[in-house]
Amino acid sequence: MRLPVLNKSAGACSKSPRPAHPGMTRRSFLRRGAVATGGLAALAASLSPLRDLDGTDSFSVQKFLQKHYKEMSPEEMEGALDRIRSEVERRYEVRPEIRDIKAMDGVEFVYALNLSRCIGCRKCVHACVAENNQSRDPEIQYIRVLEMPRGSIDIEDGNHHYDRPTVPAEGHYYMPIQCHQCANPPCVKVCPVEATWQEPDGITVIDYDWCIGCRYCEAACPYWARRFNFSKPSLPKDELNPEMSYLSNRPRQRGVMEKCHFCLHRTRQGRMPACLEICPTGARKFGNVLDPESEVSQILKSKRVFVLKAEVGTLPRFFYYFDERDPFSQMTPIPAGTEGGS
Amino acid sequence: MTNPEAPSNTPGREASHASPSTGAAPAFNPGWLLGLGFVVLACVFWFSSGGDPTPGAPTPAFDVALLDAGQRTTLLTDPPTVLIAGFEQRCNACHKLFESDSDGTRPLTQHGHIELAHGLNDRCSNCHDRDDRERLVLHDGSSVPYAETATLCAQCHGPVYRDWQRGTHGKTLGAWDLTSADAQRLSCTECHDAHSPAFPALHPLPGPNTLRMGEPSWGGGHHGARNPLRRWADHAHDGAHEREHEHGDDDGGEH
Ligand code: HEC
Ligand code: HEC
Ligand code: HEC
Ligand code: HEC
Repeated sequence: MRLPVLNKSAGACSKSPRPAHPGMTRRSFLRRGAVATGGLAALAASLSPLRDLDGTDSFSVQKFLQKHYKEMSPEEMEGALDRIRSEVERRYEVRPEIRDIKAMDGVEFVYALNLSRCIGCRKCVHACVAENNQSRDPEIQYIRVLEMPRGSIDIEDGNHHYDRPTVPAEGHYYMPIQCHQCANPPCVKVCPVEATWQEPDGITVIDYDWCIGCRYCEAACPYWARRFNFSKPSLPKDELNPEMSYLSNRPRQRGVMEKCHFCLHRTRQGRMPACLEICPTGARKFGNVLDPESEVSQILKSKRVFVLKAEVGTLPRFFYYFDERDPFSQMTPIPAGTEGGS
Repeated sequence: MTNPEAPSNTPGREASHASPSTGAAPAFNPGWLLGLGFVVLACVFWFSSGGDPTPGAPTPAFDVALLDAGQRTTLLTDPPTVLIAGFEQRCNACHKLFESDSDGTRPLTQHGHIELAHGLNDRCSNCHDRDDRERLVLHDGSSVPYAETATLCAQCHGPVYRDWQRGTHGKTLGAWDLTSADAQRLSCTECHDAHSPAFPALHPLPGPNTLRMGEPSWGGGHHGARNPLRRWADHAHDGAHEREHEHGDDDGGEH
């Protein structure tokens, strides 16, 4: 869309080296001039990202000097949180309740999803967006719901662009995919700066202030669970969720990765993830796998669960299962007029 | 990434225009081209930066009110009442007065909104106590209060009831630690209408609009090149798996 402008300036540039009566001094003068112009323009171009910085963007010395999450002392973390608080307040006019919430002892989170129940309504997708302050435009969604032809569990047969008057559609089932919080995460291994790592409770997190945006982790993830902020995230002020934590849903900046973190600001305080609470069908299950009485432990014990792409060795903490069909609903009706029951 | 066409095409075009004319002037120093190249590049970066580089369709707007779990809230509590002509009435305010035994086999005049679509289970008295309409009834004739509908459903839906008890059917809100006071498991009738229990179909909320996520028309014809999931296709496609699923010709091009 900006190409006409470009062509005009390029044309102007290319005329200057060929004057009507070239003389040596004049030519060298022009040459030097052209090189200088080029150098200046290149310098300007290299600085041009700064143009995008307005008052709301954080380009503070404090942030520049901030340490890696794991190396920050409690006071330094408090300082970082204060900086984030004032940045968010400046930009969204809301004072966030941001904390650094640590993993709980004796807890390892696991997710299970009942494919017999999911109907593909995508409420989880949008509840997640609202909870986790994802960018609305350009749009970032952590959960992707695949519409699968019945009989296949090959996710390559899935379609996530389905749009129908109503779901579920005949002959299909639905498979939501989000970060699987692998026990052997390829994304963590490829990160050149250790901006993403696995926490003791199994959640793989990202320090958005440490991420350099190289997108290696995005390429390494076999589940396509990581999202990149190509441009400055935008969300309406009144839709900001002020309940935040450092490693989860605080607002992100352009050029960093983000992904599902099992709503750690909720789950590390005992609550359920937002996608589970919104699910009208109850297909989503979450809990502590180290507790033998938890719902997820019961599922791992009593259902035939599977993981996606088990062959790539990522050891996901996100399990799928099907129910056996309720035998009662396969019975043939008693002819009308006959007395049924006792 | 930024505007993929512009940076790669334009300098190339520039170079091919320039070279024939420079060939005509023997004393010409190629350093010119370098300077020129910088200028052009700088122009390109300058004018193309700052735009929105994410290819995407317009973000669809949807009513945030649609973001509710759709739980049924009209549950009966004990003592149960119904709204008759704007007044709350106990069941027995009427049912103590007269014997009625329609049993769902003839059209109802009073509880007209009830449509029984529960398969074989087509008698009101399978669930409602004939002697006391304020209670539900089990097969053995004993009665249960409305607050314990799960016991009623359990008689005929054993496997699902067992799943519900374990927490694998239905939903628990509030807390993942079941010993916590906040953990609250929904009862059957918070999701199912006891009279027509099939789960209703819903309108799906908008899907992803980012074109990077694959063609919207994906699924017919050539799904492939832009589908990030297919990056790992070599792993997913070896062995017995390939034989199991008939992929048709759309796979042929890629392997
Ligand atoms: C305003 C009076 C009124 C109230 C209040 C009322 N009913 Fe009824 N109900 C009737 C009438 C009249 C019938 C007879 C069926 C018909 O022809 O519609 C009936 C029928 C029924 C039947 C079908 C079986 C039968 O006896 O024919 C059931 C079950 C039932 N009612 C349950 C209830 C329950 C449960 C409540 C309370 C939550 C309740 N009713 C409250 C008037 C009432
Ligand atoms: C599967 C068992 C079952 C059957 C069969 C059944 N009901 Fe019910 N009915 C219930 C339950 C459970 C409730 C309480 C519903 C709630 O809390 O949402 C109820 C509630 C009611 C109510 C009060 C709520 C309302 O919607 O007005 C009426 C009236 C009623 N039933 C009438 C009938 C009639 C008439 C029939 C037969 C045509 C019938 N029921 C068949 C289980 C049943
Ligand atoms: C007297 C036995 C009986 C009781 C009690 C009973 N059901 Fe059913 N239910 C059935 C039968 C039979 C079917 C099979 C319907 C069909 O597929 O034709 C069924 C089907 C269902 C279905 C599947 C409907 C569909 O079309 O997918 C649901 C959900 C269900 N029942 C829920 C309940 C709930 C909730 C209760 C308790 C309020 C309950 N049932 C109580 C007998 C019963
Ligand atoms: C969180 C909501 C929720 C709760 C609570 C719930 N169910 Fe369901 N139930 C569903 C959904 C969703 C389906 C799938 C419906 C479909 O596939 O169309 C279902 C399906 C069923 C079926 C059909 C069985 C099958 O294999 O398809 C039965 C029977 C049933 N439920 C009974 C119950 C009973 C009994 C309870 C209480 C003990 C209960 N449900 C509690 C959401 C719920």
